[in-house]
Amino acid sequence: MNILVCIKSVPATTKVSLDPVTHTLIRDGRQSVINPFDLSALEEALCIREHLGGEVTVLSMGIPDTTRLLRDCLARGADRGMLLSDRAFAGADTLATSYSLSCAMNVLPPMSLIICGKMAVDGDTAQIGPELAGALGIPCISDVLEVKEITEDTIIVRRGIDGGEAIVKAALPAVITVVKDIRNPRMPSIAGIRAAQTMELDVRTADGILADKSRCGLNGSPTQVVRTFIPVREQKSEVIEGSASEQARRIIGIWEGLKI
Amino acid sequence: MVEIRKLTEEFEGFCKDESRSVGYAESISFPETEEDIRYVVDTMRAQGVPVTIQGGRTGLAAAAVPYGGHVMNLSRMNRLLGIRKCGENWYIRVQPGVVLQNLRKAIEEKAFDTAGWSEEDRKAAIEFAADGEYFYPTDPTETSACIGGMAACNASGARTYRYGAARHYVSALRVVLSDGNLLALRRGEVFADGRTLTLTAENGKTYCIDLPGYRMPDTKNASGYYAADNMDAVDLFVGSDGTLGVISEIELELLPLPKVIWGVSCFFAEEAQALDFTIAVRNQVQHASALEYFDRGAIAILRRQKTLSTAFAALPDVEEWADCCVFVELGCDAEEQALDDLYRIGDIMKACGGDEKNTWVARTATDKETQQFFRHAVPESTNMLIDERKRKDPVITKLGADMSVPDEHLKDVVAYYRKTLHENNLETAVWGHIGNNHLHVNVLPRDAEDYRRGKALYAKWAQKITEMGGAVSAEHGVGKLKRDFLTVMYGEKYIREMAAMKKQLDPCLMFGRGNLFAPEAAEGKEVMH
Repeated sequence: MNILVCIKSVPATTKVSLDPVTHTLIRDGRQSVINPFDLSALEEALCIREHLGGEVTVLSMGIPDTTRLLRDCLARGADRGMLLSDRAFAGADTLATSYSLSCAMNVLPPMSLIICGKMAVDGDTAQIGPELAGALGIPCISDVLEVKEITEDTIIVRRGIDGGEAIVKAALPAVITVVKDIRNPRMPSIAGIRAAQTMELDVRTADGILADKSRCGLNGSPTQVVRTFIPVREQKSEVIEGSASEQARRIIGIWEGLKI
Repeated sequence: MVEIRKLTEEFEGFCKDESRSVGYAESISFPETEEDIRYVVDTMRAQGVPVTIQGGRTGLAAAAVPYGGHVMNLSRMNRLLGIRKCGENWYIRVQPGVVLQNLRKAIEEKAFDTAGWSEEDRKAAIEFAADGEYFYPTDPTETSACIGGMAACNASGARTYRYGAARHYVSALRVVLSDGNLLALRRGEVFADGRTLTLTAENGKTYCIDLPGYRMPDTKNASGYYAADNMDAVDLFVGSDGTLGVISEIELELLPLPKVIWGVSCFFAEEAQALDFTIAVRNQVQHASALEYFDRGAIAILRRQKTLSTAFAALPDVEEWADCCVFVELGCDAEEQALDDLYRIGDIMKACGGDEKNTWVARTATDKETQQFFRHAVPESTNMLIDERKRKDPVITKLGADMSVPDEHLKDVVAYYRKTLHENNLETAVWGHIGNNHLHVNVLPRDAEDYRRGKALYAKWAQKITEMGGAVSAEHGVGKLKRDFLTVMYGEKYIREMAAMKKQLDPCLMFGRGNLFAPEAAEGKEVMH
């Protein structure tokens, strides 16, 4: 079974700050990392491959440095990687991104299953998986907690829904988006890292995947960012130290201060 | 001034530490300043009351457990006091009760509460924030340890393999002596003349001290006083187990953080392969900063814990065939350098009968967290197992050896441990700092008889380790629990010399009663073993 896993590069830290002039993220020189949800998606794909055979391909869209992350996926066991990298992709919202990712299928072998992380830790939209399925005209199951059964033709999963869980079956090919806890990602081995260093990565431009440039990047993005800002956190915490009676006195002091 | 309180039920917790020994005391104080310490010392001296000094009570040798008298708890002396640069290095001044994890966080985030700092220190803090990344290299597993306690027992950790023990990073100390006088010592300024050390207090009073005459083992060592010809005065107080004075301020050296830090867990089918691998890595891998070991027993406990507790469900699975694991941490200047070392590790594995496929390489923050979780879960799971058994038989506690030998004896000592454990039919889990030939051999008693046999075995090991030129305590300190081993290691004569030296600084035998030697030995009487 051929499986495609979509990978997003996200900032390495959650403590990002915004440039007050340009409203863009200050990357603070820290390296970007693979979106943690996507690492779990890769692990699920590798487990399915161990069960059914086939190949796992990782796909990302981003700046040339993203090859570093794709190579990490190869070291963890993916068979091949493709990076979509072109100025034409810059400034893409989720619609333009999912269109561009879907165009990669113009040049990749047919995939039975596409696995995305449920969402990315920077954008939090959870839209790429469903939109990609829409662009490819195949079913999508989001919020997958467990793959219960999979054959060459069908997949049965347990997914989260409002107030509970559901067991869902779909015909393949399909897209699933997975939660982080679906699997604990394996670490690469020395052998994996050694092999990944020399493996070819397929880097493509918009033309290279036969994409319509008017639907890529900023041109293809109806979303406009009007303003971004850091929310003010008003919650404060205090560590109460001292002997039990001192701590009790402090708690009473806080209580009295609340005047309730 | 600090209050001296009766040690009521409310403070019972301060009579025990992580060694799970329980002591007793009549009074307790929580000094917040050096003046507070001097007040307590003066008061206790006037009343002839012994003082046990403690901080985070995370020690494993019961040095902080009081045997009567007064408990001086320094955990409220938890402020960072200033920072300075000298040459390329940074130095940070702290109170003894600063907790390791808080110190690390402040250094990492470069965020200091500078209230009360001098103008010079504040300027330096701004300069530090703009400088590269630095770290404090001493890394015991227990991050709630206090810096004062770490200095007092000359603590170590995994990275001691490359960076050495706590003493190397103590650049200055302030110490309140039993007569209330203050010593301000800076490394590189006061040296012994042969084995005679002359110290001068801030008020001009001098102390002439005869250092013990023994030769310390050529290994990682936290057994008894540091004593060497022409030694630096700072070294006498580092590792003195709270017996010579109260450390009221410490200056620590910080090092530039390596740009690339990777962790590699290497799995082997046989212990012999892991030992060959360790020796080869030691000789061939240039940038290893830690070399740690987990044996079959340790891995078995993890496998068991994973099935028992959801808290451990995220532990990565160790394949069934794997018998043991050597963890190597690399600290490099660049990725290319780290890759070179990584490939060399792979080659060494092959040469030792392993396979580089059987490794976990942690290069990202998430993978490093997973690997750290795995490493720290070993002692934690072992403690949980022992607690379980203790509920059935209260006599049972974990028996953990903390002994080290010189490099050439690694294989001999492991063979000896295995042979004697097998003869005694004891269940064990072995882990620790194999790079320093310093393994924590933990006996997991199933009943009181196992416990008794395990304890007897430890005494036998102390003898054998001494014969190999090793140390009976490599990092936990001697405290009260290992003083018999210290006697085995150095002999009665040198214990008497240690006690005599203590008396020159602490004539009333006020500090750390029962640490390093029995109170009778300190008084020059015959000790009953």
